[in-house]
Amino acid sequence: MNSTIPTTTQPKAGSTPVARLEVQGLAKTYGHGPKSVEVIKDLTFSIHAGEVVCIVGPSGVGKTTLLKCLAGLQPSSGGTMKIDGHQVSGPPAEMALVFQDYSRSLMPWLTVEKNLLLPLRHLHLPAAEVRTRIEEALNEVGLSHAAKRYPWQLSGGMQQRVAIARALAYRPEILIMDEPFASVDAQTRFDLEDLCLKIRDELGMTILLVTHDIDEAVYLSDRIVAIGNKPAQVLEVLPVDLPQPRNQITSRALPEFSGLRTKVLSLIRQSES
Amino acid sequence: MKRSSTVPSRRDGQTLSQKPGNQNEARGINYESPAAKFGFGILGAVLLLGLWQFAAIRGTFGNGLPTVSATLIELFALFGNPEFWTDTFTTIWLAVLGMVIAVVAGVMLGLLIGTIDWVRYATLAVTEFFKPIPPIVVLPLCVMIWGPTNTMALALVLLGTVLSTTIQVIAGVNDTDPVALSTARSYGMGRVERLLRVTLPSASPYIGTSVRIGAPAALIIVVVAGLLGGAPGLGSAIYRSQSAGDFPQTYALVLVLGVLGLVAQNLSSMIERRVLHWHPAFREDVK
Amino acid sequence: MKRHLFNLALAITAPFVLILAWFKASSQSTNAFFPPLSDILVRFADLWIFEHFVSDIIPSMRNLIIGFALAAVLGVVIGFILATVPVLRVLFEPSLHLLRGIPPVALVPILITLVGFTDQMRISSIVIAAVFPTLIATMDGIKAVDASLKDVCTVYRLDRKDRLLSVYLPSASPQIAAGMQVSLLVAFIVMIASEMMGTAQGIGAMTLLAQQTFMAADMWAGILLLGLIGFLSNVLFDLVKNRALSWYIGSKKMEKVS
Repeated sequence: MNSTIPTTTQPKAGSTPVARLEVQGLAKTYGHGPKSVEVIKDLTFSIHAGEVVCIVGPSGVGKTTLLKCLAGLQPSSGGTMKIDGHQVSGPPAEMALVFQDYSRSLMPWLTVEKNLLLPLRHLHLPAAEVRTRIEEALNEVGLSHAAKRYPWQLSGGMQQRVAIARALAYRPEILIMDEPFASVDAQTRFDLEDLCLKIRDELGMTILLVTHDIDEAVYLSDRIVAIGNKPAQVLEVLPVDLPQPRNQITSRALPEFSGLRTKVLSLIRQSES
Repeated sequence: MKRSSTVPSRRDGQTLSQKPGNQNEARGINYESPAAKFGFGILGAVLLLGLWQFAAIRGTFGNGLPTVSATLIELFALFGNPEFWTDTFTTIWLAVLGMVIAVVAGVMLGLLIGTIDWVRYATLAVTEFFKPIPPIVVLPLCVMIWGPTNTMALALVLLGTVLSTTIQVIAGVNDTDPVALSTARSYGMGRVERLLRVTLPSASPYIGTSVRIGAPAALIIVVVAGLLGGAPGLGSAIYRSQSAGDFPQTYALVLVLGVLGLVAQNLSSMIERRVLHWHPAFREDVK
Repeated sequence: MKRHLFNLALAITAPFVLILAWFKASSQSTNAFFPPLSDILVRFADLWIFEHFVSDIIPSMRNLIIGFALAAVLGVVIGFILATVPVLRVLFEPSLHLLRGIPPVALVPILITLVGFTDQMRISSIVIAAVFPTLIATMDGIKAVDASLKDVCTVYRLDRKDRLLSVYLPSASPQIAAGMQVSLLVAFIVMIASEMMGTAQGIGAMTLLAQQTFMAADMWAGILLLGLIGFLSNVLFDLVKNRALSWYIGSKKMEKVS
């Protein structure tokens, strides 16, 4: 699997890391005139190649709006977004999105492998490559055995893994996840979190994850972007210095873990009051 | 969580997501605004009428297609014609009467079949067989027995609507909450009381649905009875005008039927909503 | 369990008992409207298996099949276009709803004035009347495509072809199938109606003619045949639909379980 990953996605050692994704002054206002609602005000942050960054904020802060703007699903009202230094508009080709609601983001009339195939069709790749990509992606999420099954025949956690596999087969440089583990049970959630870290380690993918779960953010992240309301703005960008690789039991037991957790929580609490 | 209070309306996301890119929200025509809908709707109707007029004048269909103007003149002439009003009234009356009888009969039959297990199984094959068969199939029999009369039309309406109403009520009975039923039993309610206080109210949305589907169907059946069976009403008026070669009148009458059909559809779904406003299925609907 | 078996036996035997009862009750019948079932069956065999199979059944069925097929295809295509091109939709949707209000059978006299008493008239009547249920259902189905699926299309930059044919169309297919089923019923009704208005050909015409000449057994044979066609065409449609939409039926079942 590692051999298929282009080396350019790895952070360049030695030189200052180039920001893979750079968001500058992003703003979003709905409507016009007196009835307008400012949802996002001046968000600025950047993500380096191979990093896992979590955006954490209270529920209803506009995290989903932020992701929709980043993914080109909604036009932003202001600001710029750069990928590898190039300004982008519209849905970037380098990006794939994993939605929160797995049951509604997979096509129920397609088998798992056909779901993976759908986004690849318009890329006009050689048939052999398409096959390898699908096989590898399913292998990565541990669902090789379920290729011929329909999404609705699988459990919630498995469905979300299918959604992740679909993103992997698309080979994005940046994987964006919108509260991807919010609607699965706790055990599955841990498994999926580790899957997320494994993807980053094995494929060198850059991951941006939005969550309202502070523990999850601390566990996964290299850096946390804490945002507060309202309108949404960056409160602070915190580096997470927990040792790699992370472990669900030991990492969460570290004193640094609870320290960070407390810090993020109080940041968000302050912004709410 | 995803659609929380500050995340703006879902419609924004939908319409915008169709056209990705850095476009300005204000640019382009908003087709969803009421004014645009109204204006374009009128424009579309005018376009279609223009096409009709053009084809009529050009004589694409010989003298079979009257002009829009001739049809409209005939339509206004009809409004001053008492016979037209009698026909219209007869048609509506037969449809409404048929529907009312069908609902009453359907509720009684549905409760009977739905609550008694062996009756349900015994009638299963019969209901399943007749369900997809439209009443027009038995029209010759009805005409043979009753001749071209109101009774024939009414019989045809009943044959066409009682079964579907019954099937809806049976479905409603099956959908009754077993907890509510056992609660009622524990309060010492008798069989009849349970039927009237628990089963019937919980089946009422299904009865509502049967009215919404049945009312337009009843109207159509009355027209069929008139057109093909000679029963009084707009159906036979269309037949007479067509065989007399008074094509503008044929078209005018068909237009009237179109409006009546539309009214039947909207009125029946309005009644459904009014009567059942308390039901969760409709409370959800009103956003 | 015992009770269940009893019910099952009841469900299976009831129709036979009913037919037998009809047979017995009518065997000595001299009522002009209700001839003995044995007479009806004899006439059924004579008329439909021997005399009129080629002359009447085949034309009727051909009109029904061609008319329904055209209506289904046109309904999906036009509905698809109207649902995906906003200008066209706002232009023609209101007129469409007015046209839909017209009882389908009332289109037959209109088509007679336009094309006369021909097979072409019968097929066009069927097509025009039967197109609406499929058309409206297609529009509604496309409108109801889940916003999340649309977002998936955008994020993965699907091209227009994939988006429309591989996402919108299958997503709307349960509604489209339901619309087609109504279209089939309408096509069947209009097939009969088009034959009952002033022609001498087809099952509907034969049945009406038998009624007008008071040949009760012939008329009953016609009703029986029409009833069977109505029932069997629906069964056939259900079979095809359940096969094509097995994913939908399966996913609905899962939803109920969870």
